[in-house]
Amino acid sequence: MGVGLFQYTVLSVLVFLLGALGLMVRRNAIIMFLCMELMLNGVNILFMALARSKGTVEGQVIVLFVMAVAAAEAAIGMAIITSFYRSRGGVGVDRADLMKW
Amino acid sequence: MMINAWDVVFFFLAGLILLSALGVVFIRHPVYSALSLLVNLCVTAILYLSLMGAPFIAMVQIIVYAGAIMVFFLFVIMLMNLSKGEYQERTVPWRLLFGVGAAALFAFQIFILAGEWRGVLPPGARGFGVKALSHLIFTRYILAFELVSVLIFVAALGAVALAKKKL
Repeated sequence: MGVGLFQYTVLSVLVFLLGALGLMVRRNAIIMFLCMELMLNGVNILFMALARSKGTVEGQVIVLFVMAVAAAEAAIGMAIITSFYRSRGGVGVDRADLMKW
Repeated sequence: MMINAWDVVFFFLAGLILLSALGVVFIRHPVYSALSLLVNLCVTAILYLSLMGAPFIAMVQIIVYAGAIMVFFLFVIMLMNLSKGEYQERTVPWRLLFGVGAAALFAFQIFILAGEWRGVLPPGARGFGVKALSHLIFTRYILAFELVSVLIFVAALGAVALAKKKL
């Protein structure tokens, strides 16, 4: 049995699911961000595998854009977490229990 | 039955990717968790380089993720000095059960969908070069490319505005 698109799909789905699981079970906002990067990475693997199997290069273009969006998201997220830490004294998401401050 | 060398490479790299992803989720200490994600991203870059034939994407993955984003995460983790108490979070069992259940349901749906996609990938490292990629970026996707640059600019401004003590 050769490695085909199916094996890449399984790998990508498993990485995505581990990220989603981490997003649900962890309470530390920074770790939740790491898990979001993990989910984006799983999606990237699937894009690359599909681009390879279809013989087109467009999947790689999408992966580049996903990486750029991930960088922007990390910058904004870290700024929000920094300001959250400053006002609440911690990064546990259980501390975010008010709609208005 | 003959074992293809590229298949061995794939399963080795896939195992490393899954192991480090487990590390990200289940290691308590934030710094070790972030370093585990770094391993994950680097091994993914090796996967792109060796099996997908995409050297440019592999390099960008290393530069952007390992070089920029992970340094950023580690910087914030160390800035906040999450030494005592903060990372000793307790995971409540029902929360874990809910997570596993939702993940299993989602996996079930995806695997049903994935049954339609059984295809064969050509093995080996021969693939597309930078030339085809850049040609496509600067012709058909030029609008998206410019919009991404605007997005990153706005994100940098927003990050500075959010993280400032007094606006």
